[in-house]
Amino acid sequence: MSDIIERLEHILVDSTVKARGTSVAKRRRRNPTKPSAKWIAPARIGNEVGVALAVVLGTVGCSHARGDSGGCTMCSYLLDGDERSPTTDELLQQFDNAHSELTDETAPLSVKIYTSGSFFDTTEIPSDVRTKILARIAKDERIQEVVIESRPEYVTPDIMRETRDILGSRRIELGIGLESSNDAIRSICINKGFSLSTFKGAVANAKEYDIGIRAYVLLKPPFLTERDALLDAVKTIEDAAKLGVSTVSMNPVNIQKYTLVERLWRKEQYSPPWLWTVMSVLRDAWNKVGSSINILCDPVAAGKVRGAHNCGSCDESITSAIREFSIHQDISVFDSLDCDCMRQWHHVLNHEDISLLIHSRSRRS
Amino acid sequence: MTEFLIGRGHDGPARVGVYRMGSTKVQTPFLVGSPNTESIIGYATLGRNDSPSGGPMILAVPSPIHDSKSFISDAREDDSILLPSFPAVSFLGAEAAELMLESQLRFINEIQGMVDPSRLIVRIPRQLAPEKLASILAEFSSLGVRAASMLFDGWLGPQDYSVLSSRTMLPIDWLAIALGRISPSSIPFLFYLGFDVFDLGYAAESASRGVRLWNLSEESITGGILPRNCSCTACADYSDLRELDREKLHAVLLGHNLNIYQSNLSESVQSLRLGRLRWLVESMVHSSTAATSLLRKTNKSLFAFLEEFTPTSGQTNLSLIGPESYNSPTVKRFRDCLSSRSTPPEHKTLVLLLPCSARKPYSESKSHQRFIKTIERAIGAARSSVAETILTSPLGVIPRELERLYPAAYYDIPVTGDWDIEETEIAADALVTHLQKFAESVVIVAHVSGGYLDVVKSAEDRVTQSIVYTTDQHSPSSFDSLQSLQNTLNDMREVLSLKGGPPALFKDTLRATADYQFGPGAGEALVPDGAKLGGKLYRMVVCRVDKEQTCAFIGDRGSLSLTLEGGRRLIPLQRYWVRFEGRKLEGGSIFAVGINEADPRIRPGDEVIVLNNQDELIAVGRSEMSGREMCDFKKGQAVSVRHKVV
Ligand code: SF4
Ligand SMILES: [Zn+2]
Ligand SMILES: [Zn+2]
Repeated sequence: MSDIIERLEHILVDSTVKARGTSVAKRRRRNPTKPSAKWIAPARIGNEVGVALAVVLGTVGCSHARGDSGGCTMCSYLLDGDERSPTTDELLQQFDNAHSELTDETAPLSVKIYTSGSFFDTTEIPSDVRTKILARIAKDERIQEVVIESRPEYVTPDIMRETRDILGSRRIELGIGLESSNDAIRSICINKGFSLSTFKGAVANAKEYDIGIRAYVLLKPPFLTERDALLDAVKTIEDAAKLGVSTVSMNPVNIQKYTLVERLWRKEQYSPPWLWTVMSVLRDAWNKVGSSINILCDPVAAGKVRGAHNCGSCDESITSAIREFSIHQDISVFDSLDCDCMRQWHHVLNHEDISLLIHSRSRRS
Repeated sequence: MTEFLIGRGHDGPARVGVYRMGSTKVQTPFLVGSPNTESIIGYATLGRNDSPSGGPMILAVPSPIHDSKSFISDAREDDSILLPSFPAVSFLGAEAAELMLESQLRFINEIQGMVDPSRLIVRIPRQLAPEKLASILAEFSSLGVRAASMLFDGWLGPQDYSVLSSRTMLPIDWLAIALGRISPSSIPFLFYLGFDVFDLGYAAESASRGVRLWNLSEESITGGILPRNCSCTACADYSDLRELDREKLHAVLLGHNLNIYQSNLSESVQSLRLGRLRWLVESMVHSSTAATSLLRKTNKSLFAFLEEFTPTSGQTNLSLIGPESYNSPTVKRFRDCLSSRSTPPEHKTLVLLLPCSARKPYSESKSHQRFIKTIERAIGAARSSVAETILTSPLGVIPRELERLYPAAYYDIPVTGDWDIEETEIAADALVTHLQKFAESVVIVAHVSGGYLDVVKSAEDRVTQSIVYTTDQHSPSSFDSLQSLQNTLNDMREVLSLKGGPPALFKDTLRATADYQFGPGAGEALVPDGAKLGGKLYRMVVCRVDKEQTCAFIGDRGSLSLTLEGGRRLIPLQRYWVRFEGRKLEGGSIFAVGINEADPRIRPGDEVIVLNNQDELIAVGRSEMSGREMCDFKKGQAVSVRHKVV
């Protein structure tokens, strides 16, 4: 069977590259001295409430998506990046620009550095830029928590040591897209390009320096039935907890531009998850491992056709319950939810498994 | 051990039979659904629902991303098993689709010894070239697999063509399962295309969405519009479904939706038995442009498949109601056979084109009796040198000698006098082809008006003989037109020096029929010069050669029955033969199990000759299945024997 999976992988790589089309080359030029995005919001930091700054640095984009491997089937973060790699100075200016948002804030603060790729990938962020940004954070006493995102292959012992050295005793959390703990799903449904053992290695390297891991778990990559998607997300959260991650952030797939998922969706061969599925995953996973880790979920485009959605009349109440849950880690918020569409969802869970027909919801008769 | 036995009766690729799941015998066609719907056979996914219970079920093995093998032990001895595959992957292209089949093959090898392969059902992906599919399916066949499932997504349309064309690639003794969303109105169509099992999922899904299914539409039970009245067992007690609570409404909708599937399926089966399935399919697609285009595409591109299993004889009226009939297997086959097999008798020196009549056979209609009287008045016994040729839609042209044949004597069309462009073209093409078989010196007399005249006009340029028109736009059976016909024929008698000869109607009819049934040469073989013919065309005409009967023309079928002597005379033509694996016959039927070779031309309903393993004629009879089925089926009656060598 493994050779069949391997051949499928090749086909998938081709297909994701095709789905990207010319979108990579046609990325618009942006101001290289400003970050792609930045925002501040109140957040829980340790046991206190403070303010978190999130900054998305505009880089040349995720190496996995840039190259011949085509990137992940559902992700178009690459489009936020720039055709040309910004210079060292420009990248620092981007950070400073975002950092200035915190001027008037008081401790405790949290800083989240995203890049539409990997902060630790030196082809995106050269190592001198990386150390300079970390040093700037280190100088700011108010910042007590730092969150960084990276693919696991860049999470090396050297970089972990260096990061810990610079940031001192601050709480550090590293966001890694595990997506699924099932190697077959990660490769032939997501085209993620790394194996579970690479992820495990990253977790170990980070732990060595007391750096926590936030595992991103994907709900419903393509080529799975709704039920298989549900079961896999629960299993992945369980496995992630066992591997010692500190937090799980569960992300229901939304349809992003120029992705394979979008292509399949247009042909009615992909349908975003039901919000009932999102809710079930959170509830089932919390029942299993809720005592040991936090499970977060902030579904993008919830209630819209491109995001996780239900019938339309119950979407809002379920989405807000999901957000509630993320803050309080209390599954009783789901107790009173009900809607006529639940029966339809049950049907889809059963019937997709038997028929393997993607039950698309965009077209009828 | 699981087994699919195909029973007697045919209407296109549709068939009835028995699916034996262990000791349980399920009549096909049947419906499959969740055990809580009243389907005949339940389905479920291994490792997902409760363990299977009750009667035998169809069980799906979860996706190959799991250790699929581990689920198999939950299936019981009599359950059938849907092989594991991935949803949507085949949309990545042909190579991916092929892998979906390969991975199923691999799985079968992995579970070798754990499950009898006859219980397995292969999932056929879309997007695979038909030849490729056929060669991979042969591998499944050699492993012992005997069933396949294919996927549909809602109301039928041109997007489903590739699935139908995959269906035609299945070995003919396999069970074909239609899974996915199957609308109730698709059932006759899919049954006609040779599907045996239909997924009820759409009935349940629709009920869960508050939708009541009908043949022509879907009805959402909400809001301001008063729900329709329905007297089915589920709905009869409620005058306004909107007043029901949620649970009750769901139960009623589910009940109603199941009823409509059941009733459509039983109507389909009955239509097969009555030889009216094709008519049912045509009637039902007319309500949907998408389904209509699918049927047209199917007629055109899958003609060989449809035709192979369509009986060549029938007794019921054939209603040809619209453009979908123009190329239906029975109709197009008639045109094809006429063009490739029939040769006009040499003594015909004049072709008289006549309009068809509603009454069949034509010669028994009022209008044709007038035509015949006029011909006889004008030229008397020289009528035998006139090739009376009837123009009609959509069969094209019908020589008088073949007017009693199926389907010529059995079809019905909505007669309005207006012809659409397609039917005019079809008839003109048929006319051109037919006239090419006559000498250039032959004169064509066109005694037609209206649409028939348009046909002749549009053929005119491609016709080499001279054409004389008689009607001057009046109705052909009007006094003036008949007078004109009489005058024209009178003139022709001199021009062509038409002479009365011996009456040739019997001989012409029997020879033409023999050629049509058995191909060129059969007429002369069965009805040689000097044969004695006696009887009545509308009842029976017997042909004797040296006192020995060769065949009989049966008036109400318009076809020939062979005697053993007739059969012997056909042997050199090497057509319509069935080889029986033995020397001599016991009993009055021949079963498929005794046949390994048969003429692939044979269709259900054909008159056939039976040879033994030493190439001697041992019987003549009527085929019950197509030639390929006789070879491939292991059970079932292949030939009803009429006469056998004792
Ligand atoms: S999901 Fe992450 S690793 Fe995958 S393409 Fe997007 S940014 Fe790169
Ligand atoms: Zn709802
Ligand atoms: Zn009803």
